Amino acid sequence: MSEQVSVSEFAADDALGILLSRLCKIFAVASGVVLLCMAAMSLASILGRAIFTKPILGDYEMVQMMCAVAVSMALPYAHWANGHVIVDFFTSKARPAVNLFLDSIAGLLMSLAGAVMCWRLAVGMIDLRKNFDSSMLLGLPTWWGYAPMVPSFALLSAVALYITVMRLRRGPR
Amino acid sequence: MTGFEWGAVMLAALLVALALRIHIGIAMLMAGSVGYIYVSGLGPLLSYFKTAAYARFSIYDLSVVPLFLLMGQFATHGGLSKSLFRAGNALVGHLRGGMAMGAVTACAGFGAICGSSLATAATMGQVALPEMKAHNYSERFSAAVLSAGGTLGILIPPSIPIVIYAIMTEQNVGRMFLAAFIPGILAAIGYMLVIAVIARVSPQDAPAGERMAWGERFRALVDTWPVLLIFLAVIGGIYSGIFTPTEAASIGTLATAFVAWKTGGLKGRGFFDCIYGAASATGMIFLILLGADILNVFLALTGLNTELAKWVVGMDLQPLAVLFVIILIYLILGCVMDSLSMILLTIPIFFPVIMGIDLWGLDPESKAIWFGILALMVVEIGLITPPVGMNVFIISSMARNVPMTEIFKYVLPFVASDILRIVLIVFVPGVALVALKIFPN
Repeated sequence: MSEQVSVSEFAADDALGILLSRLCKIFAVASGVVLLCMAAMSLASILGRAIFTKPILGDYEMVQMMCAVAVSMALPYAHWANGHVIVDFFTSKARPAVNLFLDSIAGLLMSLAGAVMCWRLAVGMIDLRKNFDSSMLLGLPTWWGYAPMVPSFALLSAVALYITVMRLRRGPR
Repeated sequence: MTGFEWGAVMLAALLVALALRIHIGIAMLMAGSVGYIYVSGLGPLLSYFKTAAYARFSIYDLSVVPLFLLMGQFATHGGLSKSLFRAGNALVGHLRGGMAMGAVTACAGFGAICGSSLATAATMGQVALPEMKAHNYSERFSAAVLSAGGTLGILIPPSIPIVIYAIMTEQNVGRMFLAAFIPGILAAIGYMLVIAVIARVSPQDAPAGERMAWGERFRALVDTWPVLLIFLAVIGGIYSGIFTPTEAASIGTLATAFVAWKTGGLKGRGFFDCIYGAASATGMIFLILLGADILNVFLALTGLNTELAKWVVGMDLQPLAVLFVIILIYLILGCVMDSLSMILLTIPIFFPVIMGIDLWGLDPESKAIWFGILALMVVEIGLITPPVGMNVFIISSMARNVPMTEIFKYVLPFVASDILRIVLIVFVPGVALVALKIFPN
């Protein structure tokens, strides 16, 4: 659903799972910290405008970059916490084995999408770096914004694959 | 096949994929990508992917979404719900069904600092359900009140679906919030009238409380000052144009974080729970946004949405009939999908249709805003009706003694009040638009 309240994290019991779980949480905390920094910077910019009649230079483009970073770093945890939504109305009465089969396909597609995005973003990042593409006011290299996105999508892909394999191993329930 | 046909085929494939439990964002991404490959080829798609995710995630206006989500988490952990409930109860608690009305008032208040229906229902439920039980309210009635009251979270600004709608249709977020305000208040009043009626028809469900002295009422109201202050700063700042929505949301986030820290809500795991909750909701919303982006690029390539709009407009149908068909589609979709995915999926198709027909002679801006509010209210009904009434699910998980069907039965009168309000706003757009007239741009 569009706004969820509680998170239900995947219960991992092997070393790889614990590692992935930690990574997801580290990424999520980084995402939250970036958001808080973004909020603090906006506040500073407002104060600067009000008191010194001078906003922070390039606050607009910093918000854009920080937002992209915060959002993509939240993606793997969202999958770990079973946060990405599905329509389960039509299959709620289906046998567990059927739903496990469908969820495995969905998990593999999620993993594939994550991998493709990671690959394309990496290529895009290298292109931008070569072209010295940078933001208008501060001259921030655009690829800085891409740099945290590439591992985020890689982690999303890995987590989706791991959860799918583990669910298949555990069998329908 | 023509582009139009490809568009139609991929939309059908998308619906099948959705029914087969593919994640909504991924299903949109896949349908959009496959269609894109057929229309333009693999090469252009791969080169589009190089920048698509960054372009989508770095939209300035969208940055309010993760901020509002984090703000909602802090508000939930900040204990503001308790003081709101006490204040609502102090004001109207002595009436028949007064505590239920107090809960609705508190939901509206919480909605003013939280843009989410489920979070509002869950937070207020935790506070109000035990109190109402202790005051001899029947649990099925209390559960229904809190489920319906929760939907105020999204109607009363700030509201995440409104932000998304405004960005998709290039409307001003502040103007949309302004327009949502009166319908939001009307919703709260409607729910209170329903409570008053139920309290008269079956007094055993909703007894009256004790009247409080004015001094006590005043103190209870004063306790809600952080909510009022945050609401005024955020919404007032956006309306008046002093802050951009992102700056206002930043202030709101930091202020609610401060309140949550002050009240001890961030102790221990509290802070991390806020961060994790916000991360999960952020990831979920933006994955769908990314998928919808690619789907919409593909649909624009095929010209499906403009063709469809031209076709509907060309049929010269009764405009209201078109509107009612769209509302009906939303009601049906709302039974199985969440509101945000629905808006992202349908607005690119329905919005050009609405803009192409004449409805009450409204100018484009008014019509866009009015339709957005209307669509939002319709999709929210899905939160409290079977089969997937998420608000009812959440509340029901807290009131385990009541069968869910009982709650749905008691929710029905509230749904009736929702439908009455929708009909009112369909026929009298001024209800939503008068606020825009009072505060011109």
